[in-house]
Amino acid sequence: MASSEDDPAERHNAEILSIDAGGTMTDTFLMDSDGEFTVGKAKTTPDDESRGFIRSSQDALEDWNLSVEEGFPDLVSTVYSGTAMLNRLVERESEVDVGILITGGMEDTLRMGRGRQSYTGYSYSDRLHVNTHKHPEPLIPRNRIRGVRERIDVKGNTLVPLYEDGVRDGVNDLLDQGVDHIVVMFLHSYKNEDHEHRTKEIAEEIIDERDADTTVMLSSEYYPTLKESERLNTVTAEAFAAEPSRDQLSNIQEAVDEQGGDVGVRVMASHGGTIDIHANELARTLISGPIGGMIGANYFGQKLDYENLVCTDIGGTSFDMGIIIDNDWQIDYSPEMARLLLSLPMVNMESVGAGTGSYVRVNPTFDKIELGPESAGDQVGVSAVETDVETVTVTDCHVAMGWINPDNFLGGDMPIDRDVAEQEIEAQVAEPLDMGVYEAAQGVIDILESKLRNDLEAVVTGEGYAPSNFKCLSYGGGGPVHTAGYTKDLGFDEVLIPEWAAAFSAFGCGAADYEYRYDQTTSIDIDPDLSMREAAETAGAELTEVWKRLEQKVVNEFENSNIGRDEIDFQYHILGQYQGQLNSIDIESPVGRADTPEKLERVLDTFEAGYRRQYSEEARSPELGHTITQASVRGVRDVVKPEIPTEQLQDTEPPEDAYKGSREAYWDGEWMETEIYDLHALQPGNELSGPAVMEGAATTYTLPPDCETRLDEHRVHHLTRTE
Amino acid sequence: MPESYPREHIEDLVDDNLEWNQLHDMMSDYKDADRFQKVRDVLQERVDWDDPIIIPYAEHLYVVAKPDDRWVIKCDCGHEFCEHDENWKADALINVRDSEEEYLEIYPEDMHPHPDYMELREFFCPGCNTLLEVTNVMPGYPLIHEFEPDIETFYNEWIEEPIPTA
Repeated sequence: MASSEDDPAERHNAEILSIDAGGTMTDTFLMDSDGEFTVGKAKTTPDDESRGFIRSSQDALEDWNLSVEEGFPDLVSTVYSGTAMLNRLVERESEVDVGILITGGMEDTLRMGRGRQSYTGYSYSDRLHVNTHKHPEPLIPRNRIRGVRERIDVKGNTLVPLYEDGVRDGVNDLLDQGVDHIVVMFLHSYKNEDHEHRTKEIAEEIIDERDADTTVMLSSEYYPTLKESERLNTVTAEAFAAEPSRDQLSNIQEAVDEQGGDVGVRVMASHGGTIDIHANELARTLISGPIGGMIGANYFGQKLDYENLVCTDIGGTSFDMGIIIDNDWQIDYSPEMARLLLSLPMVNMESVGAGTGSYVRVNPTFDKIELGPESAGDQVGVSAVETDVETVTVTDCHVAMGWINPDNFLGGDMPIDRDVAEQEIEAQVAEPLDMGVYEAAQGVIDILESKLRNDLEAVVTGEGYAPSNFKCLSYGGGGPVHTAGYTKDLGFDEVLIPEWAAAFSAFGCGAADYEYRYDQTTSIDIDPDLSMREAAETAGAELTEVWKRLEQKVVNEFENSNIGRDEIDFQYHILGQYQGQLNSIDIESPVGRADTPEKLERVLDTFEAGYRRQYSEEARSPELGHTITQASVRGVRDVVKPEIPTEQLQDTEPPEDAYKGSREAYWDGEWMETEIYDLHALQPGNELSGPAVMEGAATTYTLPPDCETRLDEHRVHHLTRTE
Repeated sequence: MPESYPREHIEDLVDDNLEWNQLHDMMSDYKDADRFQKVRDVLQERVDWDDPIIIPYAEHLYVVAKPDDRWVIKCDCGHEFCEHDENWKADALINVRDSEEEYLEIYPEDMHPHPDYMELREFFCPGCNTLLEVTNVMPGYPLIHEFEPDIETFYNEWIEEPIPTA
């Protein structure tokens, strides 16, 4: 799986197709039944995404001398992720008009948003400074938002009954404006959805009477979670951004069917699984971050028995970090997308704007090297002579220092000129600071790596974990160049670099489960003075009811794709806390029902164990009683996943054909003769010590002088320090 | 980051005609090296008098150079207030709102401060009657001299350029 060998005699059986339709290019990742892969590219076609989809697939299949008609019938898994939905949010432009009915007095909720929304998504310095804060444009103009008199309190009691005439006026007014969807969002409807349901009945009667083609969407049906601003943003995004994509996704399915494919297209969802294109809730396929790598890392960990992983992904523009504990990721329940806070479960990642394409500039006020936050992205740097980048990037520094082979960038597809890199570093960085070129380049790398190290340490220790309990997994095209630098002195148990690091995110998309996930805010108290029997009959029964309801939603979604209940593997989660606390912890429950004392006790024991692990034994306070603040159900169905290679261990000495020669490279202030290897020609069992550079098709793995690496039988490098 | 923005861009900045994302980019970036002189140039072109502007002082107000090496605070209508290191407010026309009745001219009912605790002082230019500043202070509070620019340090050490002279 390390690289796709081009052997025309071999008939490839294209099994897994994973497509990422970006703003400009549609990327394809294709894997065959032997675990070999190839990639393809085509221009994204926003009018009808299925054309770009087919062309990109064709581009990939051509590497294996296959046409789409020949390749598609073999497919067993197809995962699509597009940016059309996210673009609607970013551009605040949609093909549909949406109207909102909201609790009277709350009509400006969308416009006021939350304080956090005025800086969320901005760079660190822009978040710090008030003059760069600004509230984002609301999705829906004020004249399409109508208030309805009603009020339900935080406990679900009706304080003001629903004024049905108000509903009628509001619906008629919105229909007069020709809206395609009416979104209903009342306060605390996650606790008591009666008013929203009644509003839907009334609205649908009027829609029928007026023979309109308008749908009604309730926040309590879609996202029954606390916090009205996020809930409203999310259900509005569902109507405004996600629904219009349904036709596009159907087109893609049709295109697959037409080419002889016998496979249901699935879409990557923010909770880390894939869902069917017919799913009721599509907004969760809005993804702003690179979660594919996290999914890949989790699958990798499950297969190779690594329970706790810190995942690090360096691309051209950002450094993304995530934590996997006990083979599960953490969920962010209020992620930001397009500067809006949403109420969606999303695989939690921290992202900082520093990558290999980050611009390097000298701050004229302080005479100090600064990186980013802007970057050249896939334009690489000034040394990539075919691009029009004018500012030095991190990659230019690598080129100057001899770490990256100018003739082997992206396998030689991107011409790189080392002289240009040196000249520009001299002019833009070294001269203003009165330093030597290589000294300056080294300075840039040191600043980047120490920044990454700090960020990484903050992510791990900030959560209360010790790095020594984790293996650090490094991937992304730029990852292996920096791995040794950013893991230095952090004390990880081990540092792992899969040979297919550059394609790891796409590998992850192929490894995603077929999974639906539903969450509901609860406020179930388990008082400390209750016996376990009393608690099970009250709180336990209530939790069980919520789980059953969520389970049914999962079942309904799978039914859309003709998958029966018996094929689904359910997992049950809670967010729990001691009574009176502000923060909850996420617990996977060992049982799916809690209505008997035995079962409830197991749920609580799991919570106690989780609390002990995250904080400490001393911090436990069961005498306060417990509160369950959210219940979740995940339903997973098995799908075909990419194979992780397993090969015979060979000698510790690398084979001769892996050795490509040697060149001078600059390490920590010194030029040293450095051996160069072909990353993909190394054999399992091989060991190398630094300084060395291993060059692959889409990435370069650098080994500084004080480091060693060993390739294991799964083609994963284990990086260690010699001291 | 441009070392320098085009003149039209700076005019739009002065007129508040930039889109938010343009403004945001300007704020987030390193400051363009010639920003001050460009802004000064735009402002100079817009006033009807010839005294060179040394610095913009407040809305409508500038510190300008006079022939006898004096620096004075001047309104864009041409009215001259005082020396640059004196409090221009002492030379302004001042309207004080310190009664219920006067507050109600500009505030909705029950939405204004109590006149016994807080008065509103409005400062107008004697030349053009433009409202230049409003302060909301306790009755009896002195006229505070809020801003005395250190022109020498600014020109000599910050931007390292000669101070304009008449």
